Amino acid sequence: MKTSNAFPTITRIAKYTFNDEVRQKSFLIMFAICAICVFLVRGCYHGDYLVNGQSLDPGTVVRALSKVIFHILAAGVMVIAALLAMRIFRRDRNEGLQSCVLSKPIGRWQYVAGKVLGLWGLSVLFMFTLHGIMFLITSINVNVIMPEYLVASLVCSINLLFVIVAVLLLSLLMPDIVAFLAVLGVGVVGFVADGIAAASQSQMAQMMMLQSGNAPQSNLTWWKVVYYVWPKLLGVQQSATAMIGSESFTGFGPFYPLVNVLLYCLVLGALLFLRFRKEDII
Amino acid sequence: MIELKNVIKRYGSLTAVDDVSFSVMAGECFALLGPNGAGKTTIVKMLLDFTRPTAGSLSIGGIPSFRAECRSAIGYLAENHHIPPYLTGWQYLLRCAELLDVCRSDAVDQCRRIVELIGMQGRENTTAGTYSKGMMQRFGLGAALVGEPKLLILDEPTSGLDPIGIRETRQLLESLKEQGMTIFLNSHLLSEVEKICDTAAIINRGTLLVKDSISAIAKDGDTLEDVFVRLVKG
Repeated sequence: MKTSNAFPTITRIAKYTFNDEVRQKSFLIMFAICAICVFLVRGCYHGDYLVNGQSLDPGTVVRALSKVIFHILAAGVMVIAALLAMRIFRRDRNEGLQSCVLSKPIGRWQYVAGKVLGLWGLSVLFMFTLHGIMFLITSINVNVIMPEYLVASLVCSINLLFVIVAVLLLSLLMPDIVAFLAVLGVGVVGFVADGIAAASQSQMAQMMMLQSGNAPQSNLTWWKVVYYVWPKLLGVQQSATAMIGSESFTGFGPFYPLVNVLLYCLVLGALLFLRFRKEDII
Repeated sequence: MIELKNVIKRYGSLTAVDDVSFSVMAGECFALLGPNGAGKTTIVKMLLDFTRPTAGSLSIGGIPSFRAECRSAIGYLAENHHIPPYLTGWQYLLRCAELLDVCRSDAVDQCRRIVELIGMQGRENTTAGTYSKGMMQRFGLGAALVGEPKLLILDEPTSGLDPIGIRETRQLLESLKEQGMTIFLNSHLLSEVEKICDTAAIINRGTLLVKDSISAIAKDGDTLEDVFVRLVKG
């Protein structure tokens, strides 16, 4: 099939995937719970915060709180995207949609691309809406307008693509729940490793290491290589939130995490297409 | 229209289809018969590229079956057809038309005709979650007819239908045959096959036992069922 004819088919399958997911009660309930939780957060903006006996100015509080909530929402929607992706092929098989689509003059790569695009679009919209609610709360309730908050949300969408592609690929190789847990594990390990790395680079940690006589090692070890190439999901979130506070970038800088996750998306996407080509359609 | 050449399909040590070759001419109504596990559905799946043969080749209209464009001429009804429970029959048919690039106004006209043809007027706007197995099967047959295909591949089309439904399906297939459509039928209902089909092949344990016209298979006063039982039981 020519590429010009292929794109309408992909967008159509993406549209069906989007619509079919939105019709699921479980999705609507998940969205409602998330939206309610975000609304409940607005109370946090009205407290007085004291650090070392000094009251913090509202602007600092809003930005710091907004960043924390941004991270929580971005990580939470990654889990939701993984939950949505893990069952998509199985549900299509059980409901006869897979055989219905693939008995038409539609290539398997188009079907997979449509599924990825539909799920990605839905997850991005889900996260953007939640971040949008936060944006509105800060704009209306505390008069702090942060348009960069929404841009940062879009930057984090690359993480959602990674999660969706990884879960879809793994769900073809192992039971759905194991695929979900495996990708969740990758995310958790990355978050913990990045957290430890960030903590070890803090002034306090450096001083403690110097006091104990352990100078920071600069040679490249096997673990460091693993750490550098591990999916930098938290790194992407940090790159995104750096925009909110107009902070300088820490760790790998703004681009390495994005390139790292993008490369993973490309490699896993290629593997997903290759694996699905060999899949028996039931 | 359909050509299979030395097709073999193995699942590990199990040979599901063993060196099967036959062809179906355009306009022919052909039945693939065999007991459960004979390899009929595997052949259908290979025709639709749902699974790849271990060896041999399959083509539809001269185009290898692994190429997506060969499926533009095919209407397919799966055994135990399912429709997502949240879609109405009408939405399902429209979705099938959209996937075939049928323009909206043509799609609506076609779907309206098909709903009448399958006898589902009045039920097309209720969700599939409320449909019986027979109604699912009727909408499945309707979906196979969307896009006016040249070849219909039907895997147990009368599965779940009541005697009236079976008769109506037979009449529909007869009228499609008269219009020149090629029909590839997988069925256990030998009496129905005998009434509708021109040619048949009997397959057992993946091996083709016979492929001929119905009249040549069921001769000397034997019914198709007699011949089928005799061949399969060896």
